[in-house]
Order: sequence, then structure tokens, then C-alpha cells
Amino acid sequence: MNNKLHIVSNAHLDPIWLWRWQEGCGEVLQTFRSAVDRLKEYKGLVFTCSSASYYKWVEEIDPELFEEIRKLVKKGRWVPVNGWWVQPDCNMPSAESFARQALYSQLYYYEKFGEICKTGYNVDSFGHNAMMPQLLNKGGMRCYVMMRPGMHENPEIPENLFWWDSPDGSRVLTYRIPECYCVNGKNGIDHELQNLRERVENTGHGMMFFFGVGNHGGGPTKGDLDYLLELKENGYEELEYSSPDEYFAEMCADKELNLPVWNDELQHHASGCYSATSMVKQLNRKAEYWLANAEKWNTVCGKITNLPKATEEFGKAWQEVCFNQFHDIFCGCSIMEAYDDVRDSMGYAMKIAANEENKAMLKIAGMVNTWLDGVTDAVATNARHHCRNLKFPRPVIVFNPNSFDVETNVRTYHPSRKVENADGKDVIFQNVRSSRSNDSHKDTVFRAKVPAMGYATYWLWHEDSEYCEDLSDNKSDVSAEELTIENKYLKVVFDDKTGGIKNLVSKEDSTEYVGGEFCIPTVIDNSEPDTWAHNIFKFDKEIAKMELKSMEVVECGAARAVMRVKHIYNGSYLNQDFILDSESKHLRVKCRILWQEPLTILKMPVTVDGENPVSTYEIPAGYIKRPCNGEEEPALTWGDITAGNGNRKGVALISDAKYSYDCPNNTLKLTMLRNCIFADHYSDRPAADFSYTDEGLHRFEYAIYPHKGEAENSGVQRISALINSKPVAIPVGYHKGDLPQNKSFVKANKDNVRLDAFKFCEDGSGDVVMRFCETDGKYVKAAIVCDIAEAGFYSDFNPFEIKTFRINAEGYVTETNFLEGIVND
Amino acid sequence: MSLPYKLQNHVCRFCSFYKLGDEKIPANLMTAVSEKPDLTDFPYPLPSKKKDYTCYAKTGDIEWYGASNGLTRYDKNAQREEDIVMYFSADRDLLDNNVKAILPDGDNVWVLTETGAAYIEMRSISMEEKADILLDESVKYVSRRWMFAQKRLTEGRNLDSILPYGSSDNDGSFTSGFSIGEILRYATYKKEKGIDHPDTVKAKYIATKAVEACLLLLHISCRGDGFVARSYHTPDEPVPDDGLFFRINNGKAYVVETTSSKEKNIVGYEIDASAPVPERLAKLYTDLGFTIDGIVYKADTSSDEITHHFLNMYFAHEYLACDDPELDELIIMSAKGLMNHIIDNGYELHDFTGEPTTWAKWSEPYFHTEFGWVDGALNTAELLMYHLVTMKITGEKGKWLESYNYLVNECGYADVCQTHFDRLYQASISMNFDYPEDIMYGDHMLATLSFWGLCLLEIDEKLLEKYRKGFKAWRSSMAREHNPGYDLPYFISCPDEKPDLDKLAGWFYRTNASRLAAGVSLIGRHDVPVRTLRLGKKEISVQLPPDETFIAKYDRDPVEYKNEDSGGIMCVENCYVYTFAYWVGRFYGFFE
Repeated sequence: MNNKLHIVSNAHLDPIWLWRWQEGCGEVLQTFRSAVDRLKEYKGLVFTCSSASYYKWVEEIDPELFEEIRKLVKKGRWVPVNGWWVQPDCNMPSAESFARQALYSQLYYYEKFGEICKTGYNVDSFGHNAMMPQLLNKGGMRCYVMMRPGMHENPEIPENLFWWDSPDGSRVLTYRIPECYCVNGKNGIDHELQNLRERVENTGHGMMFFFGVGNHGGGPTKGDLDYLLELKENGYEELEYSSPDEYFAEMCADKELNLPVWNDELQHHASGCYSATSMVKQLNRKAEYWLANAEKWNTVCGKITNLPKATEEFGKAWQEVCFNQFHDIFCGCSIMEAYDDVRDSMGYAMKIAANEENKAMLKIAGMVNTWLDGVTDAVATNARHHCRNLKFPRPVIVFNPNSFDVETNVRTYHPSRKVENADGKDVIFQNVRSSRSNDSHKDTVFRAKVPAMGYATYWLWHEDSEYCEDLSDNKSDVSAEELTIENKYLKVVFDDKTGGIKNLVSKEDSTEYVGGEFCIPTVIDNSEPDTWAHNIFKFDKEIAKMELKSMEVVECGAARAVMRVKHIYNGSYLNQDFILDSESKHLRVKCRILWQEPLTILKMPVTVDGENPVSTYEIPAGYIKRPCNGEEEPALTWGDITAGNGNRKGVALISDAKYSYDCPNNTLKLTMLRNCIFADHYSDRPAADFSYTDEGLHRFEYAIYPHKGEAENSGVQRISALINSKPVAIPVGYHKGDLPQNKSFVKANKDNVRLDAFKFCEDGSGDVVMRFCETDGKYVKAAIVCDIAEAGFYSDFNPFEIKTFRINAEGYVTETNFLEGIVND
Repeated sequence: MSLPYKLQNHVCRFCSFYKLGDEKIPANLMTAVSEKPDLTDFPYPLPSKKKDYTCYAKTGDIEWYGASNGLTRYDKNAQREEDIVMYFSADRDLLDNNVKAILPDGDNVWVLTETGAAYIEMRSISMEEKADILLDESVKYVSRRWMFAQKRLTEGRNLDSILPYGSSDNDGSFTSGFSIGEILRYATYKKEKGIDHPDTVKAKYIATKAVEACLLLLHISCRGDGFVARSYHTPDEPVPDDGLFFRINNGKAYVVETTSSKEKNIVGYEIDASAPVPERLAKLYTDLGFTIDGIVYKADTSSDEITHHFLNMYFAHEYLACDDPELDELIIMSAKGLMNHIIDNGYELHDFTGEPTTWAKWSEPYFHTEFGWVDGALNTAELLMYHLVTMKITGEKGKWLESYNYLVNECGYADVCQTHFDRLYQASISMNFDYPEDIMYGDHMLATLSFWGLCLLEIDEKLLEKYRKGFKAWRSSMAREHNPGYDLPYFISCPDEKPDLDKLAGWFYRTNASRLAAGVSLIGRHDVPVRTLRLGKKEISVQLPPDETFIAKYDRDPVEYKNEDSGGIMCVENCYVYTFAYWVGRFYGFFE
């Protein structure tokens, strides 16, 4: 029997929690200094530390210390673990975020230390999504250390050491820390060692002993190290200085190892973290999509023009996003002041996205042939400014960042009399109320069809133009009455008493999707849980339904109908614009909430009737099905409830800002906000004027998508893309150009193969990197064509598999992992 | 998807070759004007770079594009996605890859390349016809006294240049695989056409001969102790210098001089060879004018052979020997002899030294060695399967059941047989390779046969569940192949798993109607990503249709980045990769 106890000396470092990042940075410097000193003092001691961002801080601020660490790493005395930027929350970042966590960190480690991290290490993160084995493997890590949830929270997950498989076929050898990642002090050490000894006896394999002062840094103290030496001399011969890397190597060499296999997610620890502090959630979602899309356009533009590659800029932006995915930040459980920093940091990242996207789009647009003979005269004589050219239609180019063709409504900020596509055919449009009071008060919404990862040109005649005939038939399938909005696919009837939806009917087959409570905003008591909601897994103590204040049809035209519903509760209100676009199979809801209710949660329910309800949620690189037991669940952009025997039907709730749902029985509820005290860790809450996480104004969008069959076969991923990755309309000038008015730059021939990244390789070679993800849980062979990279290739995808391809200047393709083929595992 | 899935007729490529100057090459091919195709906005990936295409032609709605590295066929109306763009390359489809001109000829084309011309006929055939064509080729060119491995050629792509001999280390394995396919063909015809139908009679004859050839290997050593030979040679055949061989003479067998025997200093070593070969089996060589004297057999037999033999004996007993009592007696006798040998020798196959052969060990101590630890998951399943098959064939329990229970209850074999993936993956971390790099592709068929046998024959639900789990532990590596030869037995054994028969149908459609090896031009294809694993092995990211990749038996990584066929470019392979899979699919009602 292998009875070794591997001493993993470490210092858990929260760069932000009950302090701001500046203090966290100082804490890192002090801890690293201290660790170097201890390594000098104690022969054979090994120190383990995660998070590339910490090393970067030290390198920038104290290069001498960093040099000492480099030498220790080379000697194996200092072991960097977790090839990620921080120890992030492991539920809410997107698959692409996890890819970037690995990309920037492992390349940094490789550059500075000559090797990448072998072991994933998120000892404090509050739960782990089911795709983690893949996300770790593809970042070069095949072993993993985690702790939460503990056995008291989920005893079904194997203890100690187990194989963890994700549905794509990836696997990590996983160590579940029994009780604590930062044991210190004699009592703590005694208790932990006794516990570990028993586990060694029961399992027949060695265990790791994580010790060192942590959370606010610290690391191994001299007192504790001396005590350990004393213990080794007196009865604990099996204690050895070690590291996670060494531990796993020893375990894998053990031919007697016989471990359980786990093939599910690791939940739940802190269920309140999926919703606490809405601001950070919304910023993360927005930044993830914006950065990914902006980089796609930068790459397209870089391939066809002389626009400089912005790879380094995007790296800086993503590093901010990755940092803010640190578990105590993204989970909303840090102090209020820290979120001021987060807002600034995310703003920096998104400004880079905005700049680069704008440059690329305008540059591409400038190459599109939009010239009209005689147009310069018209501008000279009629225009107050370009958008009021009345003699000619104004070109607007719509960019679609998705790898599939889309048809959706887009908006420009001027009213129109007529809209035409590139073929000169009339397009459905509608002049709608703008957000401004200046000028005409109207914008144009029109229905655009845009090719995959490409653009389409539309021609908008100004509303005041006398040079075009009125659209003879700007009518569509959209109509509205006092309580009803409908199009050719859906009929939505509102309840004049509750303001909820009374009927949601598919007009194709008369299926009714409302099976109970539906879009009636519900206030939940949140006075008991702390910010994390430790030991509380359901938020179900209903206080009230919000009261319906008003309801009216505010728009009904060719492009869409809008029902505005206003609810109130105490001093708070919720304004919802239910928007049904022409030919759309989903209903969008733009929300504006002013919330001032301490210790409350606001939830939005939808109910589908039928037997065997199943709830399904998007997770990184896929989806997961969970029991409808009312527990609060994390999700990325959508959750879904599907029920019924035989003819099953479901409703998905998709949002552009939220991550938390629950689903008791047949009712799926989107958690719209959760207004708790900042960093409230079961304190006694002395009378004080607390600040609350979700107090104030919230603006976001969600969508209701009814569908037949199971969620994974419904196309919900594509609807989600229309909410989170919207086409962008850019008004452009008249010019001659080589590009046609409609074009696709990258296309995958399978709807379930999603383009997550299109970028230049980090090594500056000019090679292009593409990353795709299978989203429906199915084996698929996809054909991918990208003429601007002179590439076209096939690839097989396992269910939920993420694949990264690198394309050289000749269009030859290699499959790599998140590390782009720059480093070897 | 409802069963059975109806396999349709499908185009199959038949290529013939002409050197420059051959008068059969049409004159207008030589004078054809080449015009570069316009491939701007071509909607699919292309095997060659767009700028490398130099000529094109049309046959109806189908377009053909010639490039400096092969030929592309574009059928935009193809019903199956994988048929929309097809690739033809040297050496299997073209003499060389530098296409100069294309001349349509109905649905077919003449293709002029640097060194000659190829005529590519796209003939629509049924999948059963394909099985017949392949079978005829194997019987005519590959068979060696009804053993089926492969044969060498002296001239590439020329079946007439075939060498008359050609053995394999795994004659027993390959012939058993072939045999199972033919037994199931016979059983299918018997069910569908009746026992007296000429097709049934012919199928029975071929299956019987293959079974006899396999059984002969269980007796040819004349040791009388159940020892199985890998292969044997008649006196007119050369003895390969690749292992341990014995020549039989006057009731003795002597070690033949080879590099291996010289190294071990055992040349001429004598052992007993007095046990008679059953007369019916001996006819396989006596009918050719040989006697047992002078026969050379190959020893150091591996577990691969034994596993194939046992499952072949099961199918032969169940579906062929029911109409041939004499054959059944031979099967029963052979199974008993082999099973006794294994049990009596502590679950090892013992060579002349009394020591186990290199790779036929199923004993518990072996599983604690370095190799044995990795082999454990497979070898435990093999041994358990042998027991169940022997009990089934003999109708006896006694010693077999006692041994089986011992292995299950005392040695935990039914648990160890579930650990394949865990152990392989653990080793991959420990030794820092990517687990696919150490997949032994030949083991896939061994695992298939073992677990298929276990799942067919075990009736205890708890054990059956363990065996199904054991089979599933192989799935992650087997599923890489999408090969019906593995998938169909898997779905038979694990009914909770759902087959994608349409995908498997594509494999049948796109397998060539010849096993004549020549190699393809996979390296350099522009539409195929390549990945490099930790130890440097290269794989492609997509599994190509069988007619665009190398020819292999059930023993090769199907996504390996290589041009060469398994047997090199001058050989013709056994047909059983197709016929085994096809007749399993037909017999078990997956396909019609």
C-alpha cells in the first residue's frame, strides 16, 4: 500500500474579495517573498502556486524576486499549477473564456519557465461544470485538484481521487481535497493529518496535505514547518514535501490504483453565486461575445486588407476578462468597492473590442462596392448630412459574426421610407420610436438576411425622400390587438389582470405552450441566505407577485409588434417590452428594472404542462440535463423546460446577462436579480446602512422560445446567438470597391458546429486560428470553408467537442488545442 | 431508426491503368485541351489547393477536376454528403497524381497523368454484389489452402504477378475472421433462400473449408496436447525468417533454422509430434499430395489466435456444424483439447519448452507484470469467453464451469475486464503520451470477439452487466474507427446503445470492391487537418471514406496520417474486413 502523505505547501491568494485588487497584488508580492525565504530555509520544501496573473504582477513589480522564482521553478522547488490566469468561477465563463484562460497563461508559463502547467487547480471555486475535463485537457492539463462542493454538500461525488470524464470523451484524474486547502496551526495540522491517514488506510493510495496560511495569502509559516518536521520524526514518517504534479505522477505509476469514474458536473456549493451582483455577470457576458466577435472581424480584415493585427490588444483585453472571472469576483461575493474596479477593467476590455471591431468593419465596408452614379451631386445639393441624402438610398452593411446564416431584425438610427436588399428587392421594415427626443424620434428596424460570418448590404431610403415610391406592400405577418401580438408562427395573449402571458400558441400546429404561471414576475424572500447562499440550495420563499401597473401595444408594424407591460412592487418597477418580430419563432423581452428591495430575489417563471419534465441548461461547450427539483442551477445563456409524453414540447428562456435558474417541476424560472448585502458571509448583520448588490437600474434582454421536442434538438443555440451575438448594422458611404454587396468569409455546413474564435496565432506567424464547438451533443462531420485563408477542410467532432485549427499561409490546416501549437504539452 | 436498414446500390470505383503509348488509350485524351476550372466560391473543401487544379470535364451533372496532386469528382446532387466531393489519387486510383487531362466516357472518365492513363469506371453495385466480388478475389488470389491472410505481388497493382505462397503470423486469426463472416453468410442464405439453393450450397462449402483450415491449426503440431500453431507450410513453400518454426518428420518435430532459433541456440531441437491429424482436416494438404512429414508449422502462438479460434468454433458449432455432425465432432474435440491445455497449464499456452509463449498468458501473476497490467483487461475477457464457448460447444460444465467460477469469484476476472480504458489512460498520463497513441488497433477485434462471446453466452444478469461494462470500456477507442465490424457486435451486445446505421451504411458504400493494395495520397491533402500527438504520431482530424484511405485489416488506426496500405503497395489483402462486417449486419437483421 502506498501510504505517503504529500505535503503541498501553498498559499491560497484571493486577489479580490474583502479587499480591492491593489491590496491583493501586495498580498501576492509579500506571499511570494515569504515563500522564497521558506524555500531557502527548509531543505527539500516545495511550494505550489497557481494563477499566471500573479506571476505577471511579480515580474512587473519585483523582477529580482521573479528571477529567484524562475530559478526555483527550474529546480522543481516551486511548482506553478493551474495553467489559467486566475482560479476562476468554473460554472459561468464560456468555453471560449476557458480557452483564453489557458492560452494566455500557459504561453506565459512556457515563456517564463520553459514548461506549461500539468495540473489544473481550482481549490476554492464554487462548483465545476461538466465539461471541465475537456477544458483542462485542451489547455494541456490532465490532472485536477478541487474541493467544492464538499462531502456535506454532495456526497455522491467520489471522495479523494477519481477519474472525471466529460461527454466529449475527455478525462482528468481528479483529487478532491477532503476538508481544507489551507491548513495551518498545530490543531489544524493534527486534525487534518489524522483525517488523511484514515483516508490512506481506506483507499490504499497516498493523499495530499494542503497546508499554508491562505485566502489573504501567507503560505507556510516557520512554526508550522518546524512542527511538520517534528511530526515526521515522531510517528509521521509518511510525510514528504511534494507538489500536485508529483502526487499525480506517483498515483499514475501505481498499478494497484482502482478508482471510481464520475461523469457529471460537480455541484452545488454556493448557489447564490450564479446570480449575486448582476453587474459583473452582465459585463462578463457582454465582454465575452464582444471580444470574440471583434477579433473575428479583425482577422477577416487583416486577411483582406492591411489592417494591423490586434492580437496583442485582444490579449490584454481578454486578460482583464479572465481576471474578473476569478471566483470571488465573478460570483458576486466581493466588496462593493471591488466592483467599481471590475467595471473599469471590463470597460477597458470592451473599449478595445469596440475600437477593433469598428476599425475592421469600416475597413471591410470600405471595400464593398456601394457606388451609385450621380450620388455625389445629390449629397452636395440635398444633404444636411450623409444620412439625410434624399435622392439616393443610404447603404447600410450588416455584419453577422456567427458561423451560420441569420435572418433577424436590425436597427439603424434614422427613419426610412423604404428598405431594399442588394438585389433591389423590398425588405420589410418599420420606423420605431428611438431613444432620443431630438430629430424625428424614429429609428428604422428592418429584416436582414446575412450570410455566415459575413455581411449583407441594405439600401435605406430616408423617410423624407420624395425620390422613391412607397413600398407597395410593407405588410407582414405581424399584427396586434389590445391584449395580443402575433406573427405567422406565434400568437401571444397577455392576461390583463396579472400582466403575464395567458396563451403562447404555435400557429403551425395550434400547440399551447402556457401550462401555468408564465411571465408573472415573482418576488422571493432572500433574507436568510448570505451572499453565497451557503447551505441554501433553493430560493422558493415567495413574498409576492409584482402588481400589474399598465399594459399597452406600443408598436405594431411590418417588422414587429411590441407589448409594453409594467409591473410594480413597493418602490420598484419592472418594464418589459415583449417584442415579436416578423417571422420569428421566439419572443424577445427588453427589460428595464428599478429595484430597491433589500434582501429579495426577482424571478421570471414559465410553465409547460405535461409529464416527465426535464430541465436543460447551457454549460460551456454544451448543455446538461438536471432534475426539476427546484434547486438553483447555473447556466450560460439559456435554460429550458420540456415536458409531455409522446409529443414533447418545451420553452427556453434565453438571456443576454443572466446565469441562474431554478426549475421546480414544470416551471422554469429565470433569476433576474438577487439583491443581497455585499460580501455577507453569515455575519450577524449589525444594524447598518448596507449596500446591496442589485440595487438600482437594470437593463437587459431575455427571450422566450417555445419549441417541439427536446431542447437540444430545438435550435436553441442559434436563437441564443441572435440574442447574445447580434448582427451589427453600419451605415456606410458611397464608394467603389472590390467586394460584392453580400459575402460570407467563414462557413461551417453544420448548424451544431459553432465558430467560437477566429484569430491570428499568438506566435506572430500570421497563421490563422479557428475554434469550433459542437453544441448539440452529437457526432458530426463538418465541412468548413474559409476562402480568405485559402482553406477548406473537414473535421469530425465528438459530442460537445471543441476543436482548434491552425491554418498556415498556404491554407494547410493542423489541429491543435487551446495553445495553438505554440507549445507542446 | 427502424431495422433493417435498406442498403442501396451505390457507385463504386473500378480503375484500370495504361502506360503511355498503350494503344488502348483514346487518342483524344492525348490531345485534350486542358482548361483551368473556375473554383471561386466552391462551396466545399477541396482535396487539392484551388490554384493546383489544371483541368476539368463533365459527365452529366458531375464535374471532374484534375490537379497536380490528384483528381476530384464533384457531384453536387449526391444524396450522401460524403459523396459530393470524392478524391482519386495515386497509386490506387491513378498511376501518378499529376493530372494533365480528363476525357469523359459516359459516367466514367479517362485520366491522363504524367506516366500514363487511368480509366475510372463508376459502377453502381449492391453491397451484396460487392461482398461477392471481394470474396471471389480472396478465394482466387489470397487463399492458401483456405487460409486467408494476404498475398504478395511482384508487380504493383497486378494480380497476375501474385506469389503463390504468403503466410502470416496471424493466419489463424485472419482466417477465423473470414470464417465467421462466411458462416453467417451461409446462415443468412439458409434462412432467406433455403438450404438447397445453389448460393447456400456454395456458401456452406466456403465456410466449411475455412473452418477446416482453422481447425487444422489446432492439430497440425501433432503434439496432441491442444497446442495451436500460428500457421503451417507445405514443403514447397519457403519458411519465413520471422519466428519459431518446427518441421515434422517421422513422429518428431525439429526446430527450423531461423535467426530467432539461432539466437536462442535451439536449431534442431526435437520434440514429440506423433499425435495424428484428424483425417478430414489433413485432406487440406493430403489432397495436394503432401503428407504430414515435411510440414513446417509456426509456434510461439499468441492469444490473438486463440481468441479468434474460440469464437470461430462457437459460430461454426452453432450455425454450420448443425448441418455437419462430423464437423461438429471435430469442433468439440478441438475446443476441449485447447481448453484443457490452457487450464492444465495455469491459464497459459505452453510452447515446447514448457514455458508460456510470448503473448498467450491469461494467468493472474502475469497481470501483475508491466505488460500484463495493461493486457489484463483484455486477456481476462478472452479467457472467460473461452470457458463459455467451450461449455456451449461441448454441452458440458464440470471442469469448465469450475474453472470459470474460480476466475470470476476468486480472481475477480469479471471486474478486471472492465478496466481497459482506465488502465490505458492511467498509463498515458504516467508515461506522458496521448492515449490514442498507445491504442493497439489489433486489440479492437480481440475485444470485440471476447465481449461479443461473453454477452452472447452469459445468462447471469450481474455478470452480463459486467461484461457489457467491459465492452463499453473499449468504446472510446473503438468508436474512433466507425467500423461496422466492431460496431455491430457492440450493438448486439449492448442493446441500450443505439447504432447509427446510416453512418455505417456509408462505410459499406465507400469500401472498394478490391483489396488490391497500392496506397493513396493522403499526405498533402489540402482538405484534411493533421494533428500531432505527444509522442509525435500524426493523425488526421476526420475519418475519410475507406476508398480514400489505406487498406488495412482489423488492425490499424483509421486516421493515421499515412499513405501506405498495411501490407505495403505490392499485395492483395483478405476480404474479411468487408465480408465479416457485412454478413454480421445481414444475419443479425441490421441491414437488408
